[in-house]
Amino acid sequence: MASANTSELSTPAPRRQASLLSRFWAWEGSGVLVALVALTAALTLATDNFLSAYNVSVVLRQAAFVGLVALGQTLVLLVGGIDLSVGAAAGLSSIVGAIALTQWGIHPYLIIPFTMFFGFALGALNGVFVAGLRLNPFIVTLATWEIFAGLTLVITKGYPIRPLGDQFGIFGKGEIWGIPVPVIIFFASAIFLIWMLRQTRFGRNIFAVGGNRDAAILAGIRVRLVEFTAFGMAGMFAALAGILFASRMDAGQPSVGEGWLMGAITAAILGGTSLRGGQGSIVGTVLGALLLAVLGNGTVLLNVSGFWQRVIVGGVVLVAVLVDLLRRKD
Amino acid sequence: MNTPAPVFEARRVSKSFGPVSALKDVSITLFPGEVHSIIGENGAGKSTLMNIICGRFQPTEGQLFVDGKEVHFHLPKDAQAHGIAIAPQEISLVPHLSVAENIMLGAHCGPALSIDWRKTRAEATRHLHEVDNSIDPAARVSSLSKAQQQLVQIARAAATEARVLIFDEPTATLTYREEETLMSYIEALAREGRSAFYISHRLDEVRRLSHRITVLRDGVHVGELAPEEASRERMVTMMAGRPPKAGAQPLRDLPSTDTVLKVEGLTRAHEFRDLSFSLRKGEILGVSGLVGSGRTEMAKCIFGATRADAGRIELNGKPVSFRGPLEAIRAGVIYLPEERKQEGIFPLLSIAENTGLPTLDRFTGLLHLRNRDMMAEVEKLAGQMKAKFNSLRDPITSLSGGNQQKFIIARWLMRDAHVLIMDEPTRGIDVNAKFEIQSVLRKLTEERGLSIIVISSEMEELLDVADRIMVMHEGKVKGAIDRREASQEGLLQMAMS
Repeated sequence: MASANTSELSTPAPRRQASLLSRFWAWEGSGVLVALVALTAALTLATDNFLSAYNVSVVLRQAAFVGLVALGQTLVLLVGGIDLSVGAAAGLSSIVGAIALTQWGIHPYLIIPFTMFFGFALGALNGVFVAGLRLNPFIVTLATWEIFAGLTLVITKGYPIRPLGDQFGIFGKGEIWGIPVPVIIFFASAIFLIWMLRQTRFGRNIFAVGGNRDAAILAGIRVRLVEFTAFGMAGMFAALAGILFASRMDAGQPSVGEGWLMGAITAAILGGTSLRGGQGSIVGTVLGALLLAVLGNGTVLLNVSGFWQRVIVGGVVLVAVLVDLLRRKD
Repeated sequence: MNTPAPVFEARRVSKSFGPVSALKDVSITLFPGEVHSIIGENGAGKSTLMNIICGRFQPTEGQLFVDGKEVHFHLPKDAQAHGIAIAPQEISLVPHLSVAENIMLGAHCGPALSIDWRKTRAEATRHLHEVDNSIDPAARVSSLSKAQQQLVQIARAAATEARVLIFDEPTATLTYREEETLMSYIEALAREGRSAFYISHRLDEVRRLSHRITVLRDGVHVGELAPEEASRERMVTMMAGRPPKAGAQPLRDLPSTDTVLKVEGLTRAHEFRDLSFSLRKGEILGVSGLVGSGRTEMAKCIFGATRADAGRIELNGKPVSFRGPLEAIRAGVIYLPEERKQEGIFPLLSIAENTGLPTLDRFTGLLHLRNRDMMAEVEKLAGQMKAKFNSLRDPITSLSGGNQQKFIIARWLMRDAHVLIMDEPTRGIDVNAKFEIQSVLRKLTEERGLSIIVISSEMEELLDVADRIMVMHEGKVKGAIDRREASQEGLLQMAMS
């Protein structure tokens, strides 16, 4: 950069042939990828079983549940919103799914779509308030968080719903070619969303609405519908995570999803998604979720007290924000 | 002779916001191939009318017709469906997306579900190149200058293949060259049979471009002019409802020869190079230059917002190097940025608070703010500047652009300022308010010995107000000339030499 001739000032934004490295650095997910690779390398050296097939599948499965919730959260963040109710929506959906399975006799294979539909409805409720009535998403979802969590306890009275049966257990416990089914669903969902955000009008409109709502309105985009759908999808992915977890535990537990909210937002932010909307990527979120899972797994493998894990995660988020700051200054 | 049917017509349209009536019984037509300008002072209802035409607002009363059929627009997309598109005054783009995608926003090409990116980009590039071919369609909008963003917006409106285009102050941020391209673009549109509503404060532009000129005042249609009969004076008189105040400030000899600010060899990589000039006590120095000429960057550097790579700055004979705006302000060097809305005002605060905020230290009592003293001083300054307002407790956003600008100037007069650097001080301000601000600046130099640097892309403005005009181009000072010897052509030539 220092070599650029000042006499070329007139040419607006000289089109420099950006090197691969600087283009990588400009990408939102670059920081989290570097951190993930570094941490993986460090853990591989520091422990003898980090890269074992068993441990990798543990890490991936861990990433899958929070990751699914984070995918939906990313959509909401991209339209410039935030959804604090995702964890509670996951819990309530999984309970309703478990009841549908055990008491209403819905076929085990239909339970997942049914639960996702229910989750979409929960998210859509947020969407009605936020997109329809233009209320602040933070406040709306703070309220629905309480409502969903409360309803879960009202319905279950605090007791798990079990057993869910072997036929249904395959979604949470099963493996295909040695890969856990939830992990496959997580990656399939991510690929679907990458395609959706890149290749469909709805996907591009998400970036437009989050980047500049007024511009989107002027461009004739149905802004409210976009916001509404994003919230709906956040609920849907939360429900998917919840019901997969229930399948894995063979029980609809009222406590499902309690810790997922922070993980979901953290994964998205680590992946470079902006809280102000319009900026971010699914790949970043997937990497963020993986990083969180590796961190959690690493503390276990290294025999660090579980209590420290939260301190470490918090520290990592701060470092990520600082790296992001440096990146922007470049 | 049979007149062609109008492509668009608004009949007896009124619009009120609560008790405030912004538009009263206005009728307007637009014929195919016509450029129809709407002029009027700020608050005359131009933007309200355009917002109704493009579907952003619904009229309280009245009807709209497209091709003779009555239409009702609930949203901008309804207007778009009828072939009406707007390039709004305010930049309304998605900053993180590419230029190409912004142009095609909501209109991506491709089969039902999936977007054909190649085709979308090619389409966007084609539309962009009709307006400007120096902008990279792959660049992010956030990396563009304001002027370039304005051009992208225009390309976007054009990309809708609309038959009726609305240009709301398209040239407010543009400079000569870009303005010229835009003018010929609009002329080409009209030749193709497309029509345009054109809003601008630059009256020579209006005269050159329009087939018809409609004048609005206080929300009322006050007349229609053919371009031949639209002399500058006539237009201003109709807009204001009274004859215009005189244009240029009289020429003068400066009473003092003291140099207040001296800049030598100031350089900052990629921005400007080897700038040297001096500013005398009580002088108004005009800085003329295109966007990207380094004029704003220079101001920010002198103000301490950025750091110079080389060169020195002397204030009253002493070398200074401000490590930040705060130090500059304390030394009496003030910078008023070009983006008044974004960088100049606190929209949630009152007029008095907006004016007094940077000087609160002067009004701090033992445990409280001496609000009454502050109000008194703001009131005094407001009087000096002939600012119009109801109460100083009203929000600053209740004022017109011109009056906001006066209070922003007043803000810095509450301190002891020596040098005032104003970036585009009258952009988007109507003719009479412009004149008033120029008079205020002149008065400040005379009464308070203030030295002022006025940065402007409007040469007319500099020729009206500056004692001396310095021309910048591509980051360099191309020369400085006394107003007595300056002309638009001379300045242009100086820039290009």
